[in-house]
Amino acid sequence: MDAVEIAHVTKTFDAVTAVDDLSLIVPEGSVYGFIGPNGSGKTTTMRMIASILYPDRGSVRVFGRQMLGARSEQIGYLPEERGLYRKMTVRSVLEFYGELRGGRKVTAEVDAWLERLGLADWAGRKVETLSKGMSQRVQFIAAVIPAPRLLILDEPFSGLDPVSADAIRGAVLDLRRRGATVILSTHDMNLAESFCDRIFMIFRGKKVLDGTLASIQDQFANDTIRVSTAAPLPVLAELPGVEKINDLGQVQELRMARGCDPQEVLAVLVARSRPTAFSIVKPSLHDIFVRIAGPTAGEVKVA
Amino acid sequence: MRRILLVAKRDYLATVRTKAFLIGLVVAPLLFGSGLLAIALMKAKPDLEDRHVAIVDRTGVAGSAIIEAGAAKSAKDLFDKTSGKQTRPRYLFEAVPPDNHDPEGQRLALSDRVRHHELYAFLELGPGALEPAPPSGSKIPPANRVTVYSNASALDDAQTWFDGPINSGIQRLRLARLGVDPSHFDELLSSISVERLNLVARDEKTGQIQKAHKKSEAESFIAPFTLMMLLGMIVLVGSSPMLAAVTNDKQERIVEMLLGLATPFELMTGKVLAAVGVSLTSSAFYVIGGTLALTGMGMADLVPLALLPWFYVYLVADVIMLCALASALGAACNTPQEAQQLAIVLVAPVVIPYMVMMNVIQHPAGILATVVSLFPPFAPMLMLLRQALPGGVPAWQPWVALAGILAWTPLVVWVAARIYRVGILMQGKPPKIAELVRWAIRG
Repeated sequence: MDAVEIAHVTKTFDAVTAVDDLSLIVPEGSVYGFIGPNGSGKTTTMRMIASILYPDRGSVRVFGRQMLGARSEQIGYLPEERGLYRKMTVRSVLEFYGELRGGRKVTAEVDAWLERLGLADWAGRKVETLSKGMSQRVQFIAAVIPAPRLLILDEPFSGLDPVSADAIRGAVLDLRRRGATVILSTHDMNLAESFCDRIFMIFRGKKVLDGTLASIQDQFANDTIRVSTAAPLPVLAELPGVEKINDLGQVQELRMARGCDPQEVLAVLVARSRPTAFSIVKPSLHDIFVRIAGPTAGEVKVA
Repeated sequence: MRRILLVAKRDYLATVRTKAFLIGLVVAPLLFGSGLLAIALMKAKPDLEDRHVAIVDRTGVAGSAIIEAGAAKSAKDLFDKTSGKQTRPRYLFEAVPPDNHDPEGQRLALSDRVRHHELYAFLELGPGALEPAPPSGSKIPPANRVTVYSNASALDDAQTWFDGPINSGIQRLRLARLGVDPSHFDELLSSISVERLNLVARDEKTGQIQKAHKKSEAESFIAPFTLMMLLGMIVLVGSSPMLAAVTNDKQERIVEMLLGLATPFELMTGKVLAAVGVSLTSSAFYVIGGTLALTGMGMADLVPLALLPWFYVYLVADVIMLCALASALGAACNTPQEAQQLAIVLVAPVVIPYMVMMNVIQHPAGILATVVSLFPPFAPMLMLLRQALPGGVPAWQPWVALAGILAWTPLVVWVAARIYRVGILMQGKPPKIAELVRWAIRG
């Protein structure tokens, strides 16, 4: 069964169409990455899946059931804007959130998660005494107690220090191994590439990409050359058929015009300097993102 | 329902465990009580300084009669009959010959003496002051007027103190003119003391007719007044934190975490229930405390036990109504500061009854009192007040008020829930009234 089925969903706020005729299927057990510029409709889509917002048109089904505003203990939701009651202790706030969702006492799970994320010693302290990284870990625990079948994480890694990010990444993968479906939004394209089975990109409320990384890359030709030369950057200027140079520091990515021959580029480059690396690669997710949503992006083709 | 109760339990404990709640529990009645205390103190410590009063007599005869009557009244009132303590100031009169060339100048000079505290007041008797009053409705000619000039407030009871001696002095002169023997004056002019009693009732147990009780100030004013003040105070204490609490949840970004776990309706209802719990807790404190205090002082009769069920029905309804409204307005604001500006809208159902309270106490069966006490937003406080006043209200009225409250309160909650649902996730510019109305209609 699919974890989430979104069919022709539209959501408007006054004059702004946040999500426009969106259809999307999230298979059970997958890790689905939601990407898109700020204000493109990611959070609105996630809120509709979590049943916090209702679509104006279309339907959202979670595990085959239309939610219609009901709350389910099967869905764990970590919003981007997340706070905790500052005057409560870590344990009591987690027990409150867990019991609210699960409908039963969750003391054992709270203890296990606090232990796992290195917060056991802080269980009796008030939330207001925690560092930012610690409260972010507590917020994450609040979303996964009791263990959800569908976990929705809105920008779960933004602002996290590397230790907390690793801890939460490990926990998400663990939940996934135990069968949970994970939907997460991120602005970190490397994370989306390495962490997600499938990627969905929304832009101005419309779906522009949807599929595995490989299938998305296949939509774009092998039009990228990755080079590294001993000479300074100007040697790359005005190479035949190169439309755009993306300087990554040690490495430069060259995007070629349609029909251009990479061998010609290599020949000119060899004549000008001594390249230390030259490979034809698929465009990175970052590159694809910028092509769609960057300032020089052309007319977007809806996926 | 389970989620509603969980939210209610958390919010209830979070409120009653704060220092602010415990301090409020003690401070609020002290603030309300300090007004009554000030009145009691003023009664206990009256102004006993001698009051000098000048009389300008243009009749040529009435001045001395009034001075005589005034001196007699002053001497009679000076001491409390039971304790023997002086409770009123002594009035000392002086006759000032009238200045017929410059009466205005004389009035100004005497007024200046009052301003300099040499005099308390001065009386002026027009040349025709002894003439009988014209038929009611027609104007008293200026020459027949009797005037008291003073700096005292219009509500000062000393203002009316002079009425007795002036009337008594002039009536004696009129009787003398008619040839009545002066030895009969006291007998003729002695005032009749009228006793004011409540109605006679039959004791339901013994079947005997009970004697009517004397009307007391406590019964006719203090008990109903206190009961209504108490209701208003508990409602305010219970519902006022709601506005800030909702905006605080929003500002601290707690609300979206909660919305992932419970529906907006469940959240709002839980919060309202928590406030009802807080109000019941503080009311238990006051009702039990007040009953024990009155019983200890031997005034257990003053506790309106029969009204307590109504008191609690009104309390719960009022708290639900105000809290639902507060959560809607709180959801529409971004910061507690913004919300504070709307607090005036919320206290209206408590403050307006306070404003019309005196009118209702004076004429509890009047049209105004009846209408406002049946109007659902004000019904809890004003119907309770009228029920507590001696004489009560027709039996159907509390039930009609209750029916109104039972129809009105769910309507307020329903509208509030719709505004809450839309507003709680909104950020940025606070909505205008028109937008709030649109949210309420469209949901």
